[in-house]
Amino acid sequence: MSTQEKIKALQALNQKIEASGGQKAIEKQHAKGKYTARERIEKLLDAGSFTETDKYVTHRCVNFGMAEKEAPGEGVVTGYGTIDGRLVYVYAQDFTVLGGSLGEMHAGKICKVLDMAMKMGAPVIGLNDSGGARIQEAVNALSGYGQIFYRNTLASGVIPQFSVIMGPCAGGAVYSPALTDYVFMVKNTSQMFITGPQVIKAVTGEEVTAEELGGAMTHNQRSGVAHFAAENEEECFAQIRKLLSFLPSNNLENPPYVESGDDPERIAEELNDIMPDNPNQTYDMLDVITKVVDNGEFFQTMPYYAQNILTGYARINGQVIGIIANQPKYLAGCLDINASDKAARHIRFCDAFNIPIVNFVDVPGYLPGTNQEYGGIIRHGAKLLYAYSEATVPKITLVTRKAYGGSYLAMCSRDLGADLVIAWPTAEIAVMGAEGAANIIFRKEIEAADNPVEKRAEKIAEYRERFATPYVAAECGFVDQVIEPRETRPRLVNALEMLATKRESRPAKKHGNIPL
Amino acid sequence: MKKFHIKVNGKEYEVEVEEIGGSLAPVTQVSTPTAAKAAPVTPSVAPATSQETKAAAPAPAAAAAPEGAEVITAPMPGKIMSIKVQVGQQVNAGDLILYLEAMKMENEIFCGRSGTVKEIRVSEGTAVNPGDALVVIA
Repeated sequence: MSTQEKIKALQALNQKIEASGGQKAIEKQHAKGKYTARERIEKLLDAGSFTETDKYVTHRCVNFGMAEKEAPGEGVVTGYGTIDGRLVYVYAQDFTVLGGSLGEMHAGKICKVLDMAMKMGAPVIGLNDSGGARIQEAVNALSGYGQIFYRNTLASGVIPQFSVIMGPCAGGAVYSPALTDYVFMVKNTSQMFITGPQVIKAVTGEEVTAEELGGAMTHNQRSGVAHFAAENEEECFAQIRKLLSFLPSNNLENPPYVESGDDPERIAEELNDIMPDNPNQTYDMLDVITKVVDNGEFFQTMPYYAQNILTGYARINGQVIGIIANQPKYLAGCLDINASDKAARHIRFCDAFNIPIVNFVDVPGYLPGTNQEYGGIIRHGAKLLYAYSEATVPKITLVTRKAYGGSYLAMCSRDLGADLVIAWPTAEIAVMGAEGAANIIFRKEIEAADNPVEKRAEKIAEYRERFATPYVAAECGFVDQVIEPRETRPRLVNALEMLATKRESRPAKKHGNIPL
Repeated sequence: MKKFHIKVNGKEYEVEVEEIGGSLAPVTQVSTPTAAKAAPVTPSVAPATSQETKAAAPAPAAAAAPEGAEVITAPMPGKIMSIKVQVGQQVNAGDLILYLEAMKMENEIFCGRSGTVKEIRVSEGTAVNPGDALVVIA
């Protein structure tokens, strides 16, 4: 073979692999509103930045006629490239090749990417579109999943890991996404479940469609398995790029600073009017957040799940912050099982990746109810306490209104290690609401009064005047500053600058035992 | 309306089941155990599940609605403060339906879709639990 022939042979081989499962399979993929693995990588990464790894890997299976079966690229495209100029690793399962099924070598390619990402300290984005394990490869395919789970776990807290569900993802395949930091789904084309609709029908007789069972909105709204839902694949890629813009590449870096052009000294006059005079009236916490952060840009994570707590990222004076905020508009802003889980996970991610945490607090308490108690609100609520206490990044707590009892403590109070607690004059930091407290403290006085109703109202007012304020807490040093709402932004800028060099260590241990 | 005799833990119950539009079946328990002495009444849910009506598992029977209608349910335990709509009224998605006082907060309950108010199942002052039907929009 001459040199020219060798070069030709290489070109032919490359072409064959890049053709994936062939024109017919690709057309079928397009007909479903889905891009192919290679198209997806192209659209996700900076143009022309992708370098493929392990292109020539083939499977080693000889069972059930697999020896003659060709699987270009082993059903997964792997490699690296850049997003906004920053290195990322990526793998994309190729549904046109044996249904994207996962075998030993397919998994090996993914593992290599994960290993490299960990060594180089760069995020990994996995685009999942696979029918599941390649059954012909038997236990070797299972082992492949295990190898990926193990690496996902080792990489957790070292590099950001995103899982993007762009097709079916069933059985064991769902657990790699579950182990990663963020799960993205596309409406109508992606599904995740442990047991599919047919199995459920056979076993329990329940009839449910794949989309109802494990579609994007099911997991974004009900189960909390997924963090983002997109209308189509393009929107999904935009969400991935947006989220990455807030995150450092690894746990030793700081999140990327971006000059925002928003005046750090900006006074937001409208915040002085945002709080209703009636403490029982609702308002939208999003209005508070967007008036404080750079250019009003707040990127919510899990926007459809446990909407009584808001989590997400924003910038203040160019510096990335992680936000946790009670939402009085939804379930009165109560803490419950789902809200605790959602917030605790966000706090732990922020802590792992050096993102300061800013809390916007307006919480009346824990959601009452038997389903909450039976569901284990004690155990789930404890996660929030644990996550805040454990976090060593700068922690700033802004109390806008209610902060009562146990929920006051849970929302990053001074005692859980808040570095700075700021309160608006409308803050009510107390052990319980004025009505309940007055009923207990002044019960005898109220009962003995000639007009108990009047007396009760009088005592409630008395209690409110004295205790439903930020000043009792401030007198004890639990609140550092009481500020006018309109000056919130400059105060937060000032606080974050002061806390930029924060160093705090925890006792040496293997790891804690967070209540799971 | 169908009548069933159901045995739960050795106790016999007489249960009436009404089928509405082939979907959910609200269950009324008409008589307590016919066996022996008055034992504590088991919740009516128990007979319902044991007779395999096709009830969507935990959804309270009260939330049953005609096909194609939307039932607005209480998101949390509380008391109805004021109702802002009337039966027959035209409503749009996002309209305020009522105020639910819960956790010392006047929670605004909004309409999820456009339609007509078919039924109002609560009145001002009613105490509600999560999942209880408040208003039916069709």
